[in-house]
Amino acid sequence: MGGKVTCTLGEVKNRADFIIYWGGNPAECHPRHFTKYTLTQKGKFVPNGRKGRTMVLVDIRETPSGKAADLFLQVRPGKDFEMVTALRALVKGQPVDRERVAETGLTVEQLQDLVNQMKAAKFGVLFFGMGLSMTRGKHMNSAAVLALAAELNAFTKFVAMPMRGHGNVTGADVVLRYTTGYPFGINLCRGYPRFNPGEFSTVDLLVRGDNDAALILGADPGATMPQPAIEHLARIPTIVLDPKVTHTSRLAKVHITTAATGVSAPGTVYRMDEVPLPLRPALKSPYPTDEEVMRRIREEVLKKPAWLPATNGRAAIA
Amino acid sequence: MPELKIVKNATCTFCGCVCDDIELHAEGERIVETKRACSLGESWFKNHTAERLYPDALIDGQPATVAAAVEAAADYLYRAHMPLVYGLSNVTCEAQREAVFLAELIGGVIDSHTSL
Repeated sequence: MGGKVTCTLGEVKNRADFIIYWGGNPAECHPRHFTKYTLTQKGKFVPNGRKGRTMVLVDIRETPSGKAADLFLQVRPGKDFEMVTALRALVKGQPVDRERVAETGLTVEQLQDLVNQMKAAKFGVLFFGMGLSMTRGKHMNSAAVLALAAELNAFTKFVAMPMRGHGNVTGADVVLRYTTGYPFGINLCRGYPRFNPGEFSTVDLLVRGDNDAALILGADPGATMPQPAIEHLARIPTIVLDPKVTHTSRLAKVHITTAATGVSAPGTVYRMDEVPLPLRPALKSPYPTDEEVMRRIREEVLKKPAWLPATNGRAAIA
Repeated sequence: MPELKIVKNATCTFCGCVCDDIELHAEGERIVETKRACSLGESWFKNHTAERLYPDALIDGQPATVAAAVEAAADYLYRAHMPLVYGLSNVTCEAQREAVFLAELIGGVIDSHTSL
């Protein structure tokens, strides 16, 4: 099944009376999520604010976000997919195996109670974080909670939304989608876009040593990636665009200092609900913006003879 | 004393909430006040100044001009068989569009934090 049943944060604020956070800790990672969008605000159809909403936290341990929750469900690490699958079965009234549900660290009664509450909601929303999408099961976990939210629409209005971290990572998804048709991990080396996570995703490419040059902007993989990936970045010519000299800059061939997005560089960024917002920078940087440097590199490449993909002797597409 | 500049409804790009109701007070090269920002947003705004703390560019660790660095970058990327364009999280959509254009020109892979 494809597609995401979702909404904007404005709709959550004005309508949601049942909110689940799964594998995320907004109290520490998105401090204003509760107060600006989801829990405490009074909405058009939730006039009592926090009193009119129920909040459930699902995580492997009780984080500071647990203080804000009405119900905390502790799932055993790595058992999120099993828990979602059991919930999906219960939503459809199908039988579930007690012992296998117990492996998730929760009982059938606890899950049935959650399902009853989800079905009784007027407008439910499931926010899921990296505790779900980046642990065992990975994108299959995300697909499962998106399916759970979609299937609940047979009973009530229910939506799902990923809790996105870094500033404009949502914008990267949106821009790559509307330019290439795919959200991330896109290979253009045949002259047309190909998408295959696991094959064309950065960590896999670098660990295998597939790339022979890299341009890094708005990221510091030298501080976050697995060691073999970092070692490969140090082996090949790496170019870094960043407002600071980063870990990656130190192993790079070329570093270019740029203005800080939103602080001294203007432009557009996407919020996690895919609403684009304009930036209003307060400072004027002595450095050029990422946009300007990328344009200059592109113009410099354009001065060179056109690149044509070698497609087994057939005519190139580029 | 540098003049105080107040920016209303400024947008914070630290996390995915992208709060756009921040009031920033800037004095010269730094932001001194971040009204309505959370603790993460406050340190984000206050840690980025407009001072010239780093060289314009570095080639092999040595200070260089932006023009020379741009030329070197273009050379490396053009010569590569399978270059990678990665990151895209802390940059604007306008820069991301340029990155897609460049990735297409050099026949590379383009990827973001989403794949991590």
